[in-house]
Amino acid sequence: MKKCGHFKDLILADYIDGELDKNSTRGLESHLLDCSDCRAFLKEVKDNAARPWKQTPRQPVPEELWGAIKQRIEHENETAGPFADFMDKLKGFIVFPRMVPVFASLMLMFFAGSIALNTIQVQQTQAKDQGEYLVSLLGPAASSVQAEDNDLGTPIEHYFL
Amino acid sequence: MEDIAKDTLIRASQGDVQAFEEVYKASSSFVYNVALRVVNNREDALEVAQEVFMIIYHKLKTFRFESSFKTWAYRITANHAINFAKKHSRAKTVPYEDAFGEGAVANEFEAKIDQEHHSRLVESLLAELNPDQRACVVLRDIQGLSYEEIARALNININTVRSRLKRSREKLLSLKKTIQEAGRS
Repeated sequence: MKKCGHFKDLILADYIDGELDKNSTRGLESHLLDCSDCRAFLKEVKDNAARPWKQTPRQPVPEELWGAIKQRIEHENETAGPFADFMDKLKGFIVFPRMVPVFASLMLMFFAGSIALNTIQVQQTQAKDQGEYLVSLLGPAASSVQAEDNDLGTPIEHYFL
Repeated sequence: MEDIAKDTLIRASQGDVQAFEEVYKASSSFVYNVALRVVNNREDALEVAQEVFMIIYHKLKTFRFESSFKTWAYRITANHAINFAKKHSRAKTVPYEDAFGEGAVANEFEAKIDQEHHSRLVESLLAELNPDQRACVVLRDIQGLSYEEIARALNININTVRSRLKRSREKLLSLKKTIQEAGRS
């Protein structure tokens, strides 16, 4: 019965739609030769779930449809400004999904940049603090040199120069 | 849907109304018939078809021929019709008992059915399905698209196409069984 269930699934979609591969089709058709229940099911599906659609005629397109469309196009062309066409083309380029990777990259660059800048500032502050600490260890003489000539740069430069 | 020359599409995309009329002539039967079967109502189908062609007219300006025009038009039509059907779900126009029940022609599916009766039958059967299932049945069984084309048109997986078709058919079989049992009792 389990086997029949599998074949009935195939009958309901791929087989009657002609989408089943050759091997599976052979397997199913050989099962159909032996199984009257599946044969009856195939007939039922063909008659009641597939055939009604196949006989459906195409309905003719109502003539008023093109008239209504043409009228809307002409109305739009009359009311549209001189830049309407340009704006339409522009909209095509500024499609949001296409901009997502660009925005994402910009945001990443911004965050990476701000983290790097922050690190440099921290390092500079630490160097300055260390320099001041060394100068303070050298006593008032070094401090006075720093006081006399502030143009030389950091306290460490004062010390070595 | 008939093939449309690239040159015609380019001219239509530049606002040439005559070229757009050619696009319309090649695709209107598909667009209207899919809309008609998915929304299952003539007036609504006209509205949907009109909107679909206005979308095509506007979006042709940015169509880059990366996919085929047919696939693109299938997608716009199917999606627009499904969305419309979901928003405006109406009562069934024909009770399915009329199609399958005692009033139906004897040996309905075996005999040659007259057109009017058949149209009512199709309407009533479609009304039993939800818009997603309806779109798959219409594209496959009425328009003859392959599973792959349906998957691309509806932007869904092939297995989803398969399962929607399977469920639709199971629903129709169980419907028929219910009516036959009700007829006997």
